[in-house]
Amino acid sequence: MTPLLEIKNACRYFGGLHAVEDFSGHVKRGERVGLIGPNGAGKTTLFNLITCFTPLSSGAVFFDDTDISSLKAYRVARLGIARTFQNLRVMPNLSVFDNVSIGALGALGHSPLAALTKRTNYANDIGRRTWDALEQTGLQDHASELAANLSYGKRKYLEIARALALSPRLLILDEPAAGLNDTETAQLAEFVLRLSGEGLSILLVEHDMNFVMSLCERVMVMASGRKIADGSPQEVSNDPVVLEAYLGSEEEAA
Amino acid sequence: MRRLISISILLLAVLLVLPGILSAVGGGYWFRVTTTIGVFSILTMSANLITGTTGLMSLGHAGFYGIGAYTTALLATKLHWPFFLTLPVAGVVTAVFGILLALPTMRLIGIYFAVATLGLGEIIHVTLLNWVDFTRGPMGISAIPGISLDGLFSASDITHYYAVAIIALLAALVLGRLTHSYYGNALRAVREDDQCAASMGLNVVGLKIQSFAFACFFAGVAGGLWAHTTGYISPGDFRFSESILILAMMVVGGLGSIPGAVLGAVILLGLPEVLRPIGDYRMIVVGAVMFFSILFLPRGLLGETSVLSVVRRQFGLAWDKTLNLGWRQ
Repeated sequence: MTPLLEIKNACRYFGGLHAVEDFSGHVKRGERVGLIGPNGAGKTTLFNLITCFTPLSSGAVFFDDTDISSLKAYRVARLGIARTFQNLRVMPNLSVFDNVSIGALGALGHSPLAALTKRTNYANDIGRRTWDALEQTGLQDHASELAANLSYGKRKYLEIARALALSPRLLILDEPAAGLNDTETAQLAEFVLRLSGEGLSILLVEHDMNFVMSLCERVMVMASGRKIADGSPQEVSNDPVVLEAYLGSEEEAA
Repeated sequence: MRRLISISILLLAVLLVLPGILSAVGGGYWFRVTTTIGVFSILTMSANLITGTTGLMSLGHAGFYGIGAYTTALLATKLHWPFFLTLPVAGVVTAVFGILLALPTMRLIGIYFAVATLGLGEIIHVTLLNWVDFTRGPMGISAIPGISLDGLFSASDITHYYAVAIIALLAALVLGRLTHSYYGNALRAVREDDQCAASMGLNVVGLKIQSFAFACFFAGVAGGLWAHTTGYISPGDFRFSESILILAMMVVGGLGSIPGAVLGAVILLGLPEVLRPIGDYRMIVVGAVMFFSILFLPRGLLGETSVLSVVRRQFGLAWDKTLNLGWRQ
């Protein structure tokens, strides 16, 4: 069986800057994959390429055997790739419920005619999906609060809930544990593990190594836009190339 | 139940109490003021869909209002169409113009979109002014028939009042359903963060065009009402200053709020009339109301989002280096 997500020789140049260069990799169905690398390695750019936020300079991305490289971002989302953002992008003036309903709207479509004719089936479907996502993330008691009033940790879950309302097959998390304390990080790891248990494939960027190493089945390492390692957490953490990228070469250190 | 009561009170007030009071105080002049407020309520409610809900600062609304007015005036004077045909046709023609003119601007963001729509409004105004063969240019179009239906009612202040009131109520109903629904959430998501909305599967460009089309439809109908109820239109009625007036009504009433839009129209058109005894000083009072409302009521009277935050976002996008300058791919 082909992998769910396959990236083939992806390149992205910003002028002379090679943000992502000849990156190939994949995520299998149901797999939890971590993407790590020093700051500026091109991890977020790679996420933007996968979700078609930024067009590829060359190369291709396949999702479920479909070439998505030239699609619009919203089409990619509807195919089943949902993401969260590194710098939280909740919609502060909307309630928690309304925020999450955006994901459901993306999945079920948004026609003005449905609003004008008050189609109840459609509204019920969106409502149900939204509640499901809120319950999954434990936000149901905050549904009517403004998103701006949520704590930082809760907002992280709000972003995930919004992504889950899309019913994605691949969930992309950009630094989900950033800014959380140890207890919250452990809870988040448990939560991501539960989602994975329900069959969701997960690709995440994270700087918290304990989080990545305990959660992910496979880790890809990026440095200067290239993939330098790909393997189980143990393999990767003992790889001299990876250590060099993170810590500098031994000669320099000495 | 509470909803039902408040709707019946609203209908009673608009359809019985208000015309009753206006007739009692001697009609005429006050009927004209009220129908003008009605027309501007429709304009402000519709502009609110673009600016308040979808978050695109449109400065060309008066232009679309003008297209509707001229469509109606020409159809009514040259082809002698009755109002029940001219008004919907004016709405559709304006919506089509709105979509065609807006298509090239849809990728623009923030202040760049505002400047582009300002340009569109000016193009429409200048066209109306200079295409003398078709629009009679600065002479305007006069003797536009009023709203009447043979055997049922004839054109009068009270007929015009009811025509404007009923269409304003319909506009409020339609725009209300669009904004207070999941569809409205999709539009608000575009306002709050269009890139994030796209990554959640929302067709952002499609939503922008749809909201523009609905808003232009009602601006066109409002223009048609203006033509029918005043009997005379000229390009001067559809200048940039009218777009700013609409924007000011929206700001005072509150972005994104339909009752707020009506309230804004009532305040900014009613105040100058009530203050007529103090002469030209009244415009200073009107200016002061706008100034202090943005200082002390940044959300307007009934708004759901702060005007300053919308403006800040509009301008902020202009010098956010991580985005493409001024437009989205």
